[in-house]
Amino acid sequence: MDILSQNYRLHEAYDELIGPDHKPRPAAQPLFDYLTTLDARTLEDRRRAVEAAIMTMGITFTVYSDAGNIDRAWPFDIIPRIIARSEWRRIEAGLMQRLKALNLFITDLYNEQHIVKDGVFPLDVLEGSKNFREQCRGITPRFGVWAHICGTDLVRDKDGTVYVLEDNLRVPSGVSYMLENRQLMKRLFPEMFQTCDILPVDDYPTQLNDTLAALSPRENERPVIAVLTPGIFNSAYFEHSYLAQQMGAILVEGPDLVVKDDDCVYMKTIAGLRRVDVIYRRIDDDFLDPEAFRPDSVLGVPGLLRAWRAGNVGIANAPGAGVADDKVVYAFVPKIIEYYLGEEPLLANVPSYLCMYPDQMAYVLDNLDSLVVKPANESGGYGMLIGPRATQGERDQFARLIRENPRNYMAQPTLSISTAPTLVDDRLAPRHLDLRPFVLQSSRMHVTTGGLTRVAMKAGSLVVNSSQGGGSKDTWIVDMEGL
Amino acid sequence: MLSRVAENLYWMTRYLERAENTARLINSTTQVLLDLPRGASFGWDVLISVVGMDALVKERGVKLDEAGIMRFLILDEDNPSSIVASIHYARENTRTFREVLPMEIWERINRLYLYIRENAQRATQGRGERYAVLHSVIEQRQSIVGLLMGSMSHDIAYQFLKLGRNLERADMTTRIVDVNSAVLLPTDEALAVPAMERLWMSTLNALSAYQMYRRHVGVRVRQQDVVRFLLKDPHYPRTVHHCLDEIESCLSVLPNHSEAMKAARQAWRRLDRMQLEGLPPLVLHQYLDQIQADLGEIHAAVAKQYFHLHHAPVAASGQNQ
Repeated sequence: MDILSQNYRLHEAYDELIGPDHKPRPAAQPLFDYLTTLDARTLEDRRRAVEAAIMTMGITFTVYSDAGNIDRAWPFDIIPRIIARSEWRRIEAGLMQRLKALNLFITDLYNEQHIVKDGVFPLDVLEGSKNFREQCRGITPRFGVWAHICGTDLVRDKDGTVYVLEDNLRVPSGVSYMLENRQLMKRLFPEMFQTCDILPVDDYPTQLNDTLAALSPRENERPVIAVLTPGIFNSAYFEHSYLAQQMGAILVEGPDLVVKDDDCVYMKTIAGLRRVDVIYRRIDDDFLDPEAFRPDSVLGVPGLLRAWRAGNVGIANAPGAGVADDKVVYAFVPKIIEYYLGEEPLLANVPSYLCMYPDQMAYVLDNLDSLVVKPANESGGYGMLIGPRATQGERDQFARLIRENPRNYMAQPTLSISTAPTLVDDRLAPRHLDLRPFVLQSSRMHVTTGGLTRVAMKAGSLVVNSSQGGGSKDTWIVDMEGL
Repeated sequence: MLSRVAENLYWMTRYLERAENTARLINSTTQVLLDLPRGASFGWDVLISVVGMDALVKERGVKLDEAGIMRFLILDEDNPSSIVASIHYARENTRTFREVLPMEIWERINRLYLYIRENAQRATQGRGERYAVLHSVIEQRQSIVGLLMGSMSHDIAYQFLKLGRNLERADMTTRIVDVNSAVLLPTDEALAVPAMERLWMSTLNALSAYQMYRRHVGVRVRQQDVVRFLLKDPHYPRTVHHCLDEIESCLSVLPNHSEAMKAARQAWRRLDRMQLEGLPPLVLHQYLDQIQADLGEIHAAVAKQYFHLHHAPVAASGQNQ
């Protein structure tokens, strides 16, 4: 199909695949050469084939409010999002720099707090943090790493600059969709993988496995790694099961584990108790250990924190890592990078206004109609105000919330986030998207090749979260050097 | 192997086997009924006592005619042994251990679930439709078993699948045999003998065993031969003897199997000693009850040895409080 004859309408936003001259960007040229050879009908057939494959492969996610019918297929768009490798290298370096600095920051917060004493990071921010865990004070986990797996959300503004939107350091999800999307694309468009030099993504389970294995307290043995899931009703259950399967790890629920008097963690097997070395937990801190955190949690394992503090089990991400996953802390990340690494940040932060500062709060309240307001500790796009699209009533309500609890709110200018051509009915239309690469750190660092591209399937919508009707695309990092 | 996963695997195949055998039971009973001579009588409610659901039926006030009993056995979600409920449980169970099964198994079970959800209602609309739907359930279930045998490593997980399947299968075989003890035949021997023959032929058919019976036993279909075949033949895969063989072979690979093995041996010995010649219906019924109780003992021993940890968090955490 000839995309250019279709009147693909460019927004004022940056388009990932089509340049302002209405021609494909260089990295996307081979894709469009290929698409031109297909007619609309073939394309539609392939799209249907993808949908059928998603249903039978059972690639699903769960929506909290959907009682009864608990899993749903996640909309997938067959037009990939393409990034040139040269650009990706710069992003990759920026992501590693960021995570390295954040891990140093977390170690410092739970120990000497030099950054506070040196006046770079304000004490009130620390004191107001919901995710600071007293129980973790005085601890430095192996390699000084707390967040072993980080999902960093990136967006591109209209001038082409890539911004970091947030760092997810608690239990970021989505990587299984990145892997499955590639499988689908290879199944459906094998020809494209012959003509374009698309870098593979499938070493992630191995990298994750190595990252986790390095945390094992026992040397010289093949470590027993368990993926700890809250269970089948969790929205990311599919991913927990998928990653366990891919790594050959054991998928466990809280009641499968027990901490004994020796402060070691065991799982309950048919042959009795068996020691567990590393836990990749997909449960929030609050529910991890009823002995240390919320006593009413039935998802966690009593004594887990005790075992971790004693150094008898590796936990990824470490309890307490979430202290740096906070939208107010986010605003300080450029300073954090400079403070610990003495380097300029390689990736841009979105300018942020912190309501805890009276002058900034005044600015936010005066400009609610042009800003995006976010609560500090929510994820999944919940509890946000998108000023330009909100009603006066909603803006008034947020003004009230901000005044009641300034520490809990920050605001950013509404970015004009980039678009990419997306198949809608039988034609291509621009849809907004973001990118979530995954960064790993333990004995060494690793960044996924690209990441998960999430796309808002509704025209004009900026919300890409799967829980709010978003879909996803395959992400190609393309090597242009040979071309 | 996690205790919880082992238990879920075990129940997953038990549920599927139960769904398949309930379908077989209903189809064969329907056949029996069509073949009964005048003067013979049969009550559908015997199916309820065969599957051991009398109490629940009474409590739920199920109407004891063909339609009411079919609804109860096929699509009543409150009956944990109904075909729809069994397949539903099997599917939900499978979701909790997708990582230990070949991907395709999940897809097939999912498909079977979608099928029965669509068609269960149709299966209660008359005998023709019912036969077609139940037959399809049996077929789809067979393809799942085939896929498991052909695409899954015969590891510990597999042993639990096989264990559940064979325990449930042996149990259901005795129940299907038991249906005939409830049929009252006409007193006229000229009518009763051929009727009896057709009755047992239907039972063999229900278990897809007629052809093998003819090859290995003979053309004449007599109660004592059929009962001996279905209980004691070592080679046909749905006989109690064969299932006990399979159960022993599973147990022999599992760790710490002595108690469960003891229960299996006990079931063996009792089966071996049963004299099946010229049994009055009541005695046959008691024999079958005994076998069911022995199978129950094997289940109890397996549960105690392998699933116990998962149900006893307190004992497992020792004295650390």
